[in-house]
Amino acid sequence: MTSRREFLTRVATGSAALALGGGATSAAAQQRGAMHDSSIVRDTTNLFAMDQSAAKAVRFPPKPNAKPLLTNAERDELEHKIRCQCGCTLDVFTCRTTDFSCQVSPAMHADVLALVQGGYSAQEIIDGFVSTYGERVLMAPKKSGFNLLAWFTPGVAVIVAGTLIAVWLRRWKNEPAPVAAANMFSTVDATPDELARLDAAVRGDDRE
Amino acid sequence: MILIGELSLWVALLMAAWSATVSYAGGALRRNDLVSSGVRGLYATFAMISLASVGLWTALLTKDFSLEYVASHISANMPAVYIFTAFWSGQAGSMLFWALILSMYGTIAIATSRSRNRELVPWATGTISAILLFFIATTCFKANPFGRLDFLPVDGRGMNPQLQNPGMAIHPPNLYLGYVATAIPFAFAIAALFSRRLDAEWLGVVRRWTLLSWFFLTIGIILGMWWAYVELGWGGYWAWDPVENSSFLPWLTNTAFLHSIMIQEKRGMLRKWNVVLVVVSFLLAIFGTFITRSGVIESVHSFAQSPVGTWFATFFFLATGITIYLVGTRLQDLEAKVELESMVSREAAFLYNNLVLVGIAFAVLWGTVFPILSEWATGNKITVGPPFFNTVNVPLGLLLLALTGIGPLIAWRRASVSNLKRQFAAPAAFSVVVAAVLFALGMHAVYALVAYALCGFVTGTIVQEFYKGVRARQTIHEESLIPAFVHLVGRNRRRYGGYIVHAGIVMLFAAFAGLAFKTENDVTLKTGETFDVRDPYGHQWRFISQGVSTSNRPDRDVIAVGLEMFRDGKRLGIITSEKRQYLDSQHQTLFQPITQVGIRSTAQLDTYVVLAGVRGNDVAELRVTFNPLVVWVWIGGFVMMIGGLIVMWPQAERRPAQAGYAATIRTPRAEAELPVGV
Repeated sequence: MTSRREFLTRVATGSAALALGGGATSAAAQQRGAMHDSSIVRDTTNLFAMDQSAAKAVRFPPKPNAKPLLTNAERDELEHKIRCQCGCTLDVFTCRTTDFSCQVSPAMHADVLALVQGGYSAQEIIDGFVSTYGERVLMAPKKSGFNLLAWFTPGVAVIVAGTLIAVWLRRWKNEPAPVAAANMFSTVDATPDELARLDAAVRGDDRE
Repeated sequence: MILIGELSLWVALLMAAWSATVSYAGGALRRNDLVSSGVRGLYATFAMISLASVGLWTALLTKDFSLEYVASHISANMPAVYIFTAFWSGQAGSMLFWALILSMYGTIAIATSRSRNRELVPWATGTISAILLFFIATTCFKANPFGRLDFLPVDGRGMNPQLQNPGMAIHPPNLYLGYVATAIPFAFAIAALFSRRLDAEWLGVVRRWTLLSWFFLTIGIILGMWWAYVELGWGGYWAWDPVENSSFLPWLTNTAFLHSIMIQEKRGMLRKWNVVLVVVSFLLAIFGTFITRSGVIESVHSFAQSPVGTWFATFFFLATGITIYLVGTRLQDLEAKVELESMVSREAAFLYNNLVLVGIAFAVLWGTVFPILSEWATGNKITVGPPFFNTVNVPLGLLLLALTGIGPLIAWRRASVSNLKRQFAAPAAFSVVVAAVLFALGMHAVYALVAYALCGFVTGTIVQEFYKGVRARQTIHEESLIPAFVHLVGRNRRRYGGYIVHAGIVMLFAAFAGLAFKTENDVTLKTGETFDVRDPYGHQWRFISQGVSTSNRPDRDVIAVGLEMFRDGKRLGIITSEKRQYLDSQHQTLFQPITQVGIRSTAQLDTYVVLAGVRGNDVAELRVTFNPLVVWVWIGGFVMMIGGLIVMWPQAERRPAQAGYAATIRTPRAEAELPVGV
């Protein structure tokens, strides 16, 4: 049995909180907090649980005689590599051009703009974001250290397994047919042509 | 009825427990009376779960808001169809739905194979009932849809408007139908390990159910992609989200199995490998559910996280442990008797097909769980997002595409040089032509060129197969084109249905490769302002803002922007994107605002307009995206579905004969000299 108070608490921590007079920001922050409360079953109310307070400032003083090193297209490309921290799992460019209720991606975009204006290169901007948010701000891990395992394990596994299969196939090719198999073949008293016709007849595949 | 439903759920729990216990006992003690009782227990579980489901549907349709589930998921003013689908839109309901499908599948599987698989039935029934027991217990104790409120709310909370979409109404049940169908082959694989029996009958059952699982997963995944594309507004259909990945994983292993099973049928090989694929598919399905429900991995679907995650984790590790034990101790008993003969044969091509499919599954799983691994090993929180998955999977995907063309054409056992030449000359030539033409037209992206060349190659192989088949029928039976085609497909459903699925796959790859040419434009327009841009094909587009409008509907406030569209100077009409804020009957806001994307679809490209924000009264911030070839994802998905239906369509009593034949007659020369596909 769920009491009225419990039910209303659940409603209040869901996005319907907006209906109960909670401001968008505080309600969303509440939702986010509630996400980790295992006593609450959350279902369809909360497609994008957003944490609007997740933006942190990534600001550095402009370089002397700063000129932007990136074109707008290059800047957008760079924003595709940085992850919005609101919890949407999208990159900054996509989030800010999709979801007008998110306040995090515009803030991150503003930081990128300021850094571009301040004469920072793409790599410097990325490094700046990583130093502030940690590596999780990148859409894909850097190819260094422990992460190399992430990048190379699948390829290596497939190559190793592929090689093993090739070696296995070669071995079977070079070895004489196993005795069991040879016996089985010898029980078939038919010419290849007869077998072909039998095969076609059994399958009803009489076109060939 | 609601009360009867609630009680039935508890009876079902007892029934499943009974059925699992006596079935295993009957199998171990070889007692037919226990086995029969177990089977009847399974049927009774199905009946009880059906009653419970009718109970929940009754509660939903009569809008009994005293049930917390009803109050949480519907509101009085929702369309009836979404009230009906609210059954599976929440946690508790979807658990019950899962149990409903599993008990139905289990009943059908056991009822239809009972007379033929006597050795396997007790173990299979026991395993199905044990899985059911877990789902019903989770439903009863952790996510009970019949839980009551101690007061009666005036209205329910309603359903998120993004979920009120026809695609979303049928996407989850399709995925569930696919996920749950992996449980039947799993149960029969476990039964084979318990009873140490694996024969043509086993093959028949497992293949049918895997095919069914594959079929529904395909539909479910494609519908999910479509929903994400039209509703979420970020401009794509696949984000390598952990939950998307977890639906993709069993699909990959199912696909691998459906290919390697052919080697087992024709040559009696790869039995062990097939058993492993079957159990892995099921464990991946459970793992996927665990990911969805536990929230251990950050995901756009984490709305669904809840305490059942712990239950799923326990079940997953328990099932994995038991399976590993059984496979480890009994797999040797399923030894194959015949081995491969040549590097260049269809068996080898299928082995590599399996390698690549399982390789992709591994890469996806690896990327999905790597953030946990990284945090655990180094304390470093990282994101493994789309750039990772694309980099790792694109080469594997292209390899798979190449094998899609090679596999069906290469001869069984040992392909001769003349066989290779005869089969591959035309498709290879066509592939070169496709690549050359695209290059001449200005396409210089290497991956895309390779992808389209391979698409050309596979298309060539498929067309050639149909052409040869139809010609043969026309000659032998003197049929005209259409009847020859229909009979060709009708009499070889598995083979030609498979080719149709491959044709769908080619369309999907062509669409995926098109994404390389996607262009996005971040635009700010005042009323009357124009935006000029070239699309990836070089056409000149002009968009003129018609201004921002607001309107108030009874259930929502809408902000809309219309753009007049011109392509190469020709007017194409107006494309509109909206932001909607849904309201309840008191005009209070409900849920977060949602985007209504403006999409203009053609075979060449989609024009995709999203209203990202509004400044002042008439300044619209927009994203205008050109998405080449997206429509081919939906067409390809549809074609795959048709192909799947053709393959699944029952072919009277021919299958046992075929399987029996394949199991007994093998000869080195005969098949090698036969034309391919035999």
